[in-house]
Amino acid sequence: MANSVNISIEAPIENQIQEITYDGQEIYQAPLSMSENLARLAQKIDFSKTEDEFCNIKKEGESSLESKSEDDNKEPGYQSSLWPWDSVRNKLKNALTEVSVLADVLSIAKEKRYMVLDPIQAEPVDSRPMVQVYGRKKALSAAGAVLLAGVERLRASETMRMTRNMPDFHIDLLRLRQNWRLKKVSNTIVGDLSYRTAGSKFSQTGVFEVTKAPEEQIAQAMSMNASGPAPSALRVTVPPELQGVAFISVLCQKEQEDVVTATLSSSALNCPSTLLGDGADLHWQQKLEAAQNVLFCKELFARLAAEAVQLDASIPHMVVGNQIMATVLPGIQLLIGLCHNNGQNNNHNPEGIKSEGSSGKSEHDHVLEHSLHQLLRAVHHNNTHHPFPHPATGPLGPSKRRSLAGPMAADRYELLDMSKEQSLLEQIIQQAQHFFMRRRSEYVLDTIAKEVKDPLIVSHWNALNSPTQSCVKINIMAFGYDAVFRTSLVVHIYQHQMTAVQAVGRCMGWQLLASSAHLGSGPVEPLSNASSCLLASPNGDRMIAIRCEPSVGIQVFIAQSPRKDFFASELVQDKKWENLGGAFKEIKLEKMEGKNFLNKMELLMACLSSPS
Amino acid sequence: MKRGKATIICEVKNGSYSQYPVPENKTGTYVIELLTKRILALGASQQGQFLVDCESYLSHPQMGTTKTVHILHNSEQPASVFSILESGTKNIHVIADGLFDLLMMKLSQHYTSKKQTKIESKGPRFELGDFCVKLGSVTMNQNFKGILVEVEYRPCVMANAVWGLLREFLQGLLGPTVPVQPTQHLMSRMNEIYTPIDTIYQYLEHFSAYRKVTGMRNN
Repeated sequence: MANSVNISIEAPIENQIQEITYDGQEIYQAPLSMSENLARLAQKIDFSKTEDEFCNIKKEGESSLESKSEDDNKEPGYQSSLWPWDSVRNKLKNALTEVSVLADVLSIAKEKRYMVLDPIQAEPVDSRPMVQVYGRKKALSAAGAVLLAGVERLRASETMRMTRNMPDFHIDLLRLRQNWRLKKVSNTIVGDLSYRTAGSKFSQTGVFEVTKAPEEQIAQAMSMNASGPAPSALRVTVPPELQGVAFISVLCQKEQEDVVTATLSSSALNCPSTLLGDGADLHWQQKLEAAQNVLFCKELFARLAAEAVQLDASIPHMVVGNQIMATVLPGIQLLIGLCHNNGQNNNHNPEGIKSEGSSGKSEHDHVLEHSLHQLLRAVHHNNTHHPFPHPATGPLGPSKRRSLAGPMAADRYELLDMSKEQSLLEQIIQQAQHFFMRRRSEYVLDTIAKEVKDPLIVSHWNALNSPTQSCVKINIMAFGYDAVFRTSLVVHIYQHQMTAVQAVGRCMGWQLLASSAHLGSGPVEPLSNASSCLLASPNGDRMIAIRCEPSVGIQVFIAQSPRKDFFASELVQDKKWENLGGAFKEIKLEKMEGKNFLNKMELLMACLSSPS
Repeated sequence: MKRGKATIICEVKNGSYSQYPVPENKTGTYVIELLTKRILALGASQQGQFLVDCESYLSHPQMGTTKTVHILHNSEQPASVFSILESGTKNIHVIADGLFDLLMMKLSQHYTSKKQTKIESKGPRFELGDFCVKLGSVTMNQNFKGILVEVEYRPCVMANAVWGLLREFLQGLLGPTVPVQPTQHLMSRMNEIYTPIDTIYQYLEHFSAYRKVTGMRNN
């Protein structure tokens, strides 16, 4: 007691910090209002503790009793904690009891019949000032020594840092805090790299610890690469389950017997064991980003796996270890794997890496992997960004479409439609399906274009497509005649030839006498129908008939009038009948000059139009 | 405005049953069961129940001339509340979401509900190809009032284009002698695109007729 030094403590003027946002802003608690403050202070008053000796004596005597009664009082008090002033009331009640007992004692003592109060000689306090002085001196010097040692250490480290050009811990910490969420818990600095604040609901935490790197290590690192960037004075410790590298690999492949073994080995081996360089050397920014990526991949995979189990597809999805298998189209499987290498199982056989590394890498689908990341980020975004209620007093949460459903009198099917939400897995399967359908249609179009030489088939694919919708424009035209006639899409290419020949005829001044896209005559075609058209020359003396059968090809016939081989017979005697067109004669198209069918027809028409 | 499907609501009147005379004491359930049997025999499948209800509010006399607001719900549009304000010659309708009911409660000072006239039509709902048939028994304050049959032809959005088909279908179901007449409201909108509020207007017209007569509506 004699050695004690009074230290005054006062509350800081600042308010208490409630939250530190990830951009480093500190949100303070609102100061207590008058009544709250009064209630808080009143709670703190210990009415049973007084300086009065009488009370002390009494308390000592009754302490065992009181503690018991307090225990009894506590239980109901704990349950009936509805009223905040309850404890205050109890204490006031006790105080009142004590005061009334004191009053009774005083009134009895005043009568001097039963009790007499005698003054007691106070015990002389034995004050030895020198002892006190020595004691205080000793205590002060001990405290001073502690402070001096601290200052000495700080100064030493600062001068060493200055002389050896070492990085400053606090500057680094400031930089770290600009990008990452940090907080101080007792003596350590911990941070959070999870996506919670961005809307993630994944249960795994992403807590990391920030410590100061040992000086020897910094010095060593600086000596090793003097020219490179200065090493950081920070050391970031990431939990072991988030260390290393992770990625989601998506693979589309034909169904195989030994799917599981084949893909597991190939995908696991493709994973680089660590990032460039050693774990300790890595800059904290890269290290934290890698850990965050690991967490993201884990969340994505956990979500996909849960969806794969819940969805009841016609061919059930399989989840084996860190792989999800889903059937996209008959015979084609989508494999989604989580590859995580935390550097602990480095004992792969290097042979395997070499043999399968090259083949496996080209296979996996970057686009779908990117889509998966995008989809999960969209989910995160939707978790934090709710549509505004409209009107402002309306309920928060329903989408704009849903809130309009009432006034627009949506029926039950539309409402059911709105409540459906596609899972990530369904969306990615749809994208994969679309990808395959697009590739197949591309292949079919290209094959047809390769096989059919005469009308050229040109397909334009839009470069910018949605993941589940594509646009292709198909042009069918003849080389050199694309301005004359161009068909965008016909089921049978010969239809293009027939209409194109009519267009060329119009340009040449020929007259279309008849045309039919679906001829009833001739042998039955396996696909589509035969078509034909009849053209007459400008002065009407020549005719061209074109018949087109998809299985045979195009036949061209010509006739002229007056016919040259007209001879009067017994039946047809009059000379005038020679003006009727003669028999049609077939032209050998392949012998004709001309680049393509339309070119040949143009030459033929030109030749027949000229007066011979 | 959203497009709906052409719908006709027809009233089954007991007297019009020439072929199947209905016994006097068990009209309601008997007719419903009979129609259910017939429609199931046609190959329809039952798809749940339906309910259309109507509650009317009278404006307070202090607000000038008394106006009537009808609040209707249709289980086909579960998120909507239909309200029709009768003001003299013109009817004004508002389609709102479920919160409108709460708003009406707040307005109880100005609009008082006529509880005893709360009327509803409910019963089974059948689907038969493109047709949707609803057999509703109409009750007002738990008193059976009659039967309304609703037939909806889902591919068509204009009543005029499908009127003959609907009439034929109804007469095939109820009997050839049943007169099938469009309500006044539908008459004026025969050539317009049909919307869900048109169904509500038809129900309201029938409900109003039921309210006017006491007891069963037999003629």
